[in-house]
Amino acid sequence: MNLETPGHEHSADRVVLLMATRLKRLAGSLAVAFFVVLSSYWYLQIVRSEHYWRLAENNRLRVLRLEAPRGLIHDRSGHLLVENVPSFRLLIDRSLSADLEASLVFAANILDRDEEGLKESLRRYRGAPRDVPVLLAEELELNQVALFEVAIPEHPEFEIAATRRRLYRYGDQAAHLLGYLSEPTAAEQERDPTLVAGDMIGRSGVEQLRDRELRGTAGERTVVVDSRGRIAASEDVDRTDARAGESVTLTVDLGLQQEAQKLLEGKVGSIVALDPRDGAVRAMVSSPSFDPNGFAGRLDQEDWERIVGAPNKPLQNRAIHNAYPPGSVFKIAMAVAALADGLIDPKEEVYCGGSTRLYDRRWRCWQARGHGRLDLRGALQHSCDVYFYRQGRKMGIERIARYARMLGLGRRTGIEFPAERAGLVPDPEWSRSSRGLPWYPGETISVAIGQGPVLTSPLQIAVMTAAVANGGFLVQPHVFEGGARPPEPTGVDADVIAFVTEALANVVAAGTGRTAGTPIVQVAGKTGTAQVIAQATWTRSEDLPFEHADHAWFTSYAPVEAPELVVVVFVEHGGRGSEAAAPLARRMVETYFGSPVQT
Amino acid sequence: MVLPSRHDPRTLARQVRPISWQLFGSAFGLSVIGLVLISSASAELTTDYVSRQSVWIVAGVLVLVAAALVNYSVLLRHAFWIYLASVAAVAAVTFFGHEAGGARSWIGIGGFGGQPSDFCKIATVLLLARRLAGYRSPVPPRGGLWATVAIVAVPVLLIARQPDLGGALMFVPVLAAMAAVTGVSVRSALAAAAVALALGGALWIFALQDYQKDRVLSYFRPQADPLGSGYQVRQSRIAVGSGQALGKGPGEGTQSNLRFLPTPHTDFVFAVLAEEYGFLGVTLVLVLFLLYLGNGVRVALAARDPAGLLLVVGLLAFIAGHVLYNTAMVVGLLPITGIPLPFLSYGGSFMLFCCAATGLIIGLDLRRFVNV
Repeated sequence: MNLETPGHEHSADRVVLLMATRLKRLAGSLAVAFFVVLSSYWYLQIVRSEHYWRLAENNRLRVLRLEAPRGLIHDRSGHLLVENVPSFRLLIDRSLSADLEASLVFAANILDRDEEGLKESLRRYRGAPRDVPVLLAEELELNQVALFEVAIPEHPEFEIAATRRRLYRYGDQAAHLLGYLSEPTAAEQERDPTLVAGDMIGRSGVEQLRDRELRGTAGERTVVVDSRGRIAASEDVDRTDARAGESVTLTVDLGLQQEAQKLLEGKVGSIVALDPRDGAVRAMVSSPSFDPNGFAGRLDQEDWERIVGAPNKPLQNRAIHNAYPPGSVFKIAMAVAALADGLIDPKEEVYCGGSTRLYDRRWRCWQARGHGRLDLRGALQHSCDVYFYRQGRKMGIERIARYARMLGLGRRTGIEFPAERAGLVPDPEWSRSSRGLPWYPGETISVAIGQGPVLTSPLQIAVMTAAVANGGFLVQPHVFEGGARPPEPTGVDADVIAFVTEALANVVAAGTGRTAGTPIVQVAGKTGTAQVIAQATWTRSEDLPFEHADHAWFTSYAPVEAPELVVVVFVEHGGRGSEAAAPLARRMVETYFGSPVQT
Repeated sequence: MVLPSRHDPRTLARQVRPISWQLFGSAFGLSVIGLVLISSASAELTTDYVSRQSVWIVAGVLVLVAAALVNYSVLLRHAFWIYLASVAAVAAVTFFGHEAGGARSWIGIGGFGGQPSDFCKIATVLLLARRLAGYRSPVPPRGGLWATVAIVAVPVLLIARQPDLGGALMFVPVLAAMAAVTGVSVRSALAAAAVALALGGALWIFALQDYQKDRVLSYFRPQADPLGSGYQVRQSRIAVGSGQALGKGPGEGTQSNLRFLPTPHTDFVFAVLAEEYGFLGVTLVLVLFLLYLGNGVRVALAARDPAGLLLVVGLLAFIAGHVLYNTAMVVGLLPITGIPLPFLSYGGSFMLFCCAATGLIIGLDLRRFVNV
């Protein structure tokens, strides 16, 4: 605790001299300290300058995405089916809120939402910087937007951001055809680096099929931002404009599509209409349907489960995603098969007494009192089962299967949509390989009236009907304008087709399909009533519980002379084709051919 | 004996030699550079810091001239009362002062703020110089080294309590430098350092606010708190490094203009310099500081009396401590705390302190032939 021993000389000069010596040493260390500081600036500014330059640029420049507006979807006449409309989001900058609780109460009041829900959505951003605006609510109504804009002086924390939302103008009326959008999953974003969270991609229907074209290409804008992320310079550093998605035109006829949807309201089933000349789909409806607008926003888990778990599977497109026993509409294929090889003389008559005995079993005709004597034309006209039982046995399953396949059954039609069902045209080969069972001759009798293992989708029936209507050509159904493929000849003789055409016209004119007849245009068609379960007892379909009731079919085309439109109506558990399906086909034809509908 | 005629201003004017001119010139040059940097850093701010700082520079020149004319030996003689008055002023603002930036250290003078602690720096150096000079006299002052330490400890504790950690810290190199020049034994220095450490520990526990502790801690792990004080170090380093060799150009500093840099017109003004004028500008300013300090040291070496020599050493230690700490803090070598850069940072009373110190040193140089 002592100073150095004082020297003998206490003269000021001597002390100053000593101090000066020490000061020189001190000054030396000061110089060293300056050198150390300067070296660290050398290190940062010369050695590591590139690194820090990049960091400064990263600070200063922000790349903003310019979203590409998704392409529009039109019907064949240019009616807009799907478009993009402005949508408003509510953002909140929590650092500007004097009292967050009060802000949320204020917002909840305008949004007519529960304050707790808003708090919940804010919780996701707990880790985010407070002065970066975060999403509070989406799809605000215009009046709500106005209320927030007016309140901005007192509530500067709120910010309205305009974005675009996909609008399906006709809601559930073309849902299966158009599809819907949702956000890409993490895996999808990894596979396609152009996708970012918040984007929307097509999930089914046209939206999925043409996703790449519809999506367009997002642009980029490089801006100068300050430390709070606000744009600090009026001019962009760099800019690549977004390229809007391409629009898509469908072959669908909006009026017909809407009518079809209306006709199936409250029913389960499908209506398909197409042009038999090239396979252009004019209408494709599956009921029950869903509203894709609900998907365009952010669907919550609950809504999703409600849609997926709904009875009758609204997401399923019954026109292509399911196959059903065709019932008597299969008799069109039977008639072609009967005539094609000249095996059956169309004039040959068969007696129908309401049932017949084959292979030790009694086979009933739908007409319990019988049809009397009928040739092929009459059998089609009245849809006599006994006639086809007997002729079917004569023709054999291989021949039936061969001609059914020539008419497009048992394989995919080739429409653009994925997951199309191929249906089933059974034969002994199939029986052995798929069931491991021999073919029972009795099954041929069932198949002859479109029962047993045979399964077809409504679209396949439309293709088969088109082949009859267009004189024997298989068309490939398509929904995109310009997507037609040249029809392929079925190989069925023209005079066979001519005979069937005439017979089908007769069905509507004077047979089971009379309910499809209209004064506007001459219609040809065939009814079908498919049993859902093997009926041990003869019970009227109306008396059966819904899930056991027959499926109603009607397939038709018009005008008979120069067919332009095929209409297939399928009503699941609808009962008789002549009652539940044929009248709907009539309405479709009347809608399409334009005269005022008379009921 | 003092010869009054030797203190006559006209006589003094004839004594002005290159050392004084260089001291004044480097100080003035640094102030002008500071003004340019403040104008660039505050371009986006609403307050007109450039005009204010210009006023302070003019006031500073007046203070400098006045301080040069005052006979420092008179000041040394009344050092105890000056010290007492300044400590009282610091105590007054510490407990009743106006709060700014989280610290009670300000008094308002007609719209301009001032910190008595800047005035207290000079007073403390005066008293220390007088006392330490006495150790070499035949009758050493009473109280020994402890009383000397206490002279520094009182303002340090008061200022740390404000809380202005940086301001308090800057007294330490002053005491160290003055003690070293006086020739305090290694044993005594170690003992004093141990006491200082103990004092520091007590300060940490009782006086430091949480945010100050965070700052010190974040120095050791800057990534832990990217938006806190670690964020400031990071942004400051980016500003410096991205300035590269020649800088981005006047007013072109993105880190300062886009507000990534904290307080660019005061504590981080050197980062603005580094960003806009690069390593070249950094070197130039450091050379100016070396020129200033070197001339200061030459004045001290020419001093005829121990008290005068110690006075210059103490004042230079204050300036050098601020320069080294500030420039080291900007690149992250030392924890961030509120230590301005002499002559360059915006700030009135600190500018006046620097000018007064410069004036005293020049005054000493003018009286180098005077016997005390």
